Amino acid sequence: MRFMQWLHRWVSLILVVQVVLWLISGFFFALTGHQGMSGHQYMVPQKTFTELRKVAAKVDFEEIKQWFPNAHSVELVSVAGVGQYQVTLPDDVIYIDANTGDYWSTDEALATRLALLSYSGPGSVESVERVTGSNEVNGWTDPGFRINMADDLNTRIYVDMASAQVVEHRNTPWTIADWAFRLHFMDYSGGRSFNHLLIWSAGLLALWFSLSGLILLGRNLINGDFNPGRKKTWLEQFQQQGHPVASSCGGGGTCGLCKVTLKGDNLPEPNDSETALLNRDELNAGVRLSCQHKVSTAYSVELADKAVSDTRLTLVNKRQLTPSIVELTFTSPGNLTYHAGQFMQFRIPHLNEVLIRHYSMATRPDLNKLVFNVRQMTSPQEGVPPGVGSNYLCHLEVGANVDATGPFGDFQLTEQNNNTQVFIGGGAGIAPLRSLIQAEQAKQQPRHSVFFYGARNEDELCYRDEFEAYDGVAYTPVLSETTKADGWSGKTGFIHEAALAWLANENLNAVDVYVCGPPPMLKATLKALTDIGINRSRIRFDDFGI
Amino acid sequence: MAQKKRSSRWRVWHRWLSLIFGVQMVVWALSGAYMVFFDLDYIHGDHLVQDISQPLPEHTHIASLDELFATYPETRSVSLETRWLDNTLQTVYKLETAKGSLLVNAESLRLIELNEQHIKALANRYYAPEQANIESVVYMTDNPPTEISEKLLPVWQVNYDDFGNTSLYLSETTGDLLVKRHNFWRGFDIAWMLHIMDYEERVDIETWWLKGFIIGTFILMVTGIVLLVYAISFKRTPAGGSQ
Ligand code: FES
Repeated sequence: MRFMQWLHRWVSLILVVQVVLWLISGFFFALTGHQGMSGHQYMVPQKTFTELRKVAAKVDFEEIKQWFPNAHSVELVSVAGVGQYQVTLPDDVIYIDANTGDYWSTDEALATRLALLSYSGPGSVESVERVTGSNEVNGWTDPGFRINMADDLNTRIYVDMASAQVVEHRNTPWTIADWAFRLHFMDYSGGRSFNHLLIWSAGLLALWFSLSGLILLGRNLINGDFNPGRKKTWLEQFQQQGHPVASSCGGGGTCGLCKVTLKGDNLPEPNDSETALLNRDELNAGVRLSCQHKVSTAYSVELADKAVSDTRLTLVNKRQLTPSIVELTFTSPGNLTYHAGQFMQFRIPHLNEVLIRHYSMATRPDLNKLVFNVRQMTSPQEGVPPGVGSNYLCHLEVGANVDATGPFGDFQLTEQNNNTQVFIGGGAGIAPLRSLIQAEQAKQQPRHSVFFYGARNEDELCYRDEFEAYDGVAYTPVLSETTKADGWSGKTGFIHEAALAWLANENLNAVDVYVCGPPPMLKATLKALTDIGINRSRIRFDDFGI
Repeated sequence: MAQKKRSSRWRVWHRWLSLIFGVQMVVWALSGAYMVFFDLDYIHGDHLVQDISQPLPEHTHIASLDELFATYPETRSVSLETRWLDNTLQTVYKLETAKGSLLVNAESLRLIELNEQHIKALANRYYAPEQANIESVVYMTDNPPTEISEKLLPVWQVNYDDFGNTSLYLSETTGDLLVKRHNFWRGFDIAWMLHIMDYEERVDIETWWLKGFIIGTFILMVTGIVLLVYAISFKRTPAGGSQ
């Protein structure tokens, strides 16, 4: 089922554009109907009502038969009162004037007359052009005329020169419909073919997509998800009661965010989503995904973030920490208890919507105030607004309010052990790391801590004095845009390289590593850590604390 | 980490909508795939028939136009061609008149009336596969099967006992092959019916329920896109994640 879900989701991503096109063009077809798309709104069926005996025809069948001994058939028809022989040869059709015996030739006047005979609309002839085929008439490449009519539909009538036949009527609705066909059939050549590689692939994907959806739907049916009296899942129940349980997949069992801890003797067995997303320790400890289980009284449920609440924060202080980082201090009406390393979710009003932004607390738990570091974004270029969230917060006045929910996050200190605590961070990733370091240092017996902090230049080293003052913290700033020539005597280069150089001499089983920083730095660091073989369980990181 | 308080609502909507519109989407995908994967020429049965026209015989003395018009004054178009009748290739005039088409002997101008034997023999000439096993021949004047238009009546239906249950339809007056049907064409017709949701006539593409289902499917897709955006933009990498 997880595979089905995966398949359904990724195929939908590829297919979504084409499905939109199919729906739109299909809707267009349903609105317009066959007649509206044909281009034949003003076309009268081409039937001759003239009796042939009244038609000028001096040449008889016998002569034609002599001239073309290999003809398969010869037909005599009336073209506006003049006889015309249509001689079908093994691989061609030839048109002969039955009056003169010459090859038939259509002049502009006749073409116009024939066009008008086939036309029932309100317009009159606007202009006549000589053409050789037309990309509006698939398969017709012979010389002929295009008679443009002055009417509401912008009608044009194509007449073939050799045969004097009215080939097609075209108009504006037809042109629009033609584009709808291109989109629907994915044939952009105008040939309206629906047997080609592109649409085969799309068809195959669509088939997979809808069938996987059907299978998932079947599972929903079996699970009783459509029973109106069905029991809710824990996730739904919590979300309805306003307990903010994290979820990004909306109960699909794929994001792994909706963790809760079940307490009791009779816990439900983990299903395959849970075994895939939770580790063994968690499962043993009763952690489950709240979207995967129906509300039940057989056991009790503990929310992971018990202390989470909605709160209205008031800005009490604002100061420029470094040229790019602003420190904001808020108070909250209730006492907000949180763990070092956690973050709050801010609701930032922007135009008509509310944007969600995450900021980590930058101090160890403090009942009276919440401190955040906000990175001030500058406009990437003229006319492009700077980061909406950070811009909003940085321009708050002291005394202003902002709504937030939290605390969230499990970027927290490890349980007590004797390991060296290694903190690696950059930019505004300082906040949760500072909180963790402060919390560690406030302990009775702080563990030895090492802190690698990367910044562009010396001015950006926020809280430098504080870190240098700790006895228990080895603080190593690393600058990326400064050279020795600038008078900087410390380390330069990439932060993860500095950290790695240090780790090379350490017992990798006796370190706990915490990483937080801008995405490229985070990625590079995590990769480097995995490469040198540090156990996953010893690495914690936060990719939202910035 | 997205804290969408109501994210599960979208999933519930997605499920309910898919119950109605998702099922039609499966039908569209299946019928669409059928139409896309079978080549249209094959569906049309082009492989089942062959061209049986022959060069006009040289030394026949055909009636002149004057003679023709004297006998059949209402003629509106006339075609000189050949027809295999009673195992001989005959030169014939095929006439269109106000009252329909006629087949006449090009020499004698006598009206040719086709009987079942003629039709069988003609059908077998049109029929391209090696083994021509006629299962039945039906002359129909009313109540045509859904696979042909009423306009073709009256018509001869020649059914073959072959892989696709081929049926050839021949004109009762001229013996021309009018249409050909086989099981893959019939499958296409059903796919088309399912695709446009006109279960009766199989032609109306403007029904209100078709439009309704398209709009519903659109909404279903929007809910799907929302779920997709959630899933992608807020996905948390579990590798080495904080526990
Ligand atoms: S809500 Fe995503 S796994 Fe439960």
